Amino acid sequence: MAERVEVRQSVLKENDRIAGELREALAARQILCLNLISSPGAGKTSILESTLDAIRGTSRRVAVLTGDIQTERDADRLRRFGFPALQITTGGTCHLDASMVRRALEEIPLDGLDVLFIENVGNLVCPASYDLGEDAKVVVLSVPEGDDKPLKYPGIFRRARLMLLHKIDLLPHTRFSRDAAVADARRVNPEIEVLETSCVAEPGLGAWLRWIEERLEEKRQAGRPARV
Amino acid sequence: MHELSIAQSIVDSAREHAALNGGRRIVRIGVRVGEISGVAVEALEFCFGMTVQDTDMDGAALELERIPVRFRCSCCAHEFHPVEFLGQCPTCGSDGATMIAGDELGLSFLELE
Repeated sequence: MAERVEVRQSVLKENDRIAGELREALAARQILCLNLISSPGAGKTSILESTLDAIRGTSRRVAVLTGDIQTERDADRLRRFGFPALQITTGGTCHLDASMVRRALEEIPLDGLDVLFIENVGNLVCPASYDLGEDAKVVVLSVPEGDDKPLKYPGIFRRARLMLLHKIDLLPHTRFSRDAAVADARRVNPEIEVLETSCVAEPGLGAWLRWIEERLEEKRQAGRPARV
Repeated sequence: MHELSIAQSIVDSAREHAALNGGRRIVRIGVRVGEISGVAVEALEFCFGMTVQDTDMDGAALELERIPVRFRCSCCAHEFHPVEFLGQCPTCGSDGATMIAGDELGLSFLELE
């Protein structure tokens, strides 16, 4: 006679446990960790190139982990800015998981870093399920992809703190409705923040760079012991 | 296509629980799969079969409970399945419902022999 045992736990418990350890290690060093997720070709690597280019003139120190199924191309592109950039080649897996990030971080010294960027594998589905120890998931929706993505792929828009409406300079050349994209993202996630960005034209990445700085400040305030 | 790694996680967790319950044989595993959890149930069933094949869990059944997206109206507390995430309450007409179910991915029970 079979006995039924009730079990309430996440299927991804082991991933979540490792992500929790990563989150603690990052919190201890007050490092902000952002997990960038989008379709292939939305512009994650270009955003990171421009971001690193802007940051290298400041006192901030950052590092990048970039996930792809094959090739070292993204890490090669990102290393040109003088910050550590490590390629995670998944060899077929469509997402990064916490254990891949933990392995990669054995090769990057965390001490002295302000921000760790994780560029996930281009995919709007699977990466949404995996906690990597990040402070926030950032979903990049580029204008040429169409404004219907938030309702078609609700999981990631539900879990992202920020949506970048990217390649926004292409708006006049497409039928993309910025209002529809934002309204649909907020149906799925009323809290989602939205910024408009472009790597090649106005408004540039200023709002995104300020957002990163605010999140870093927020994390450092939260990590500081309260004054009596 | 991350269902293979999810199937492996389900099997690992089930084994852990079975070990805590005297190492009995697992005959059925219940898993709750939310509508927007990003998991394709057919693919998960297929991958689960592959994962347990020729192991001590060969023949164990996977019982998937699909959990539809559910909203609760913040005004009248009515619960409903929204069409395309539209938060307007079909009962009282107010906006601003919050999502209370649909993104879960969790073990719910084991049947042990």
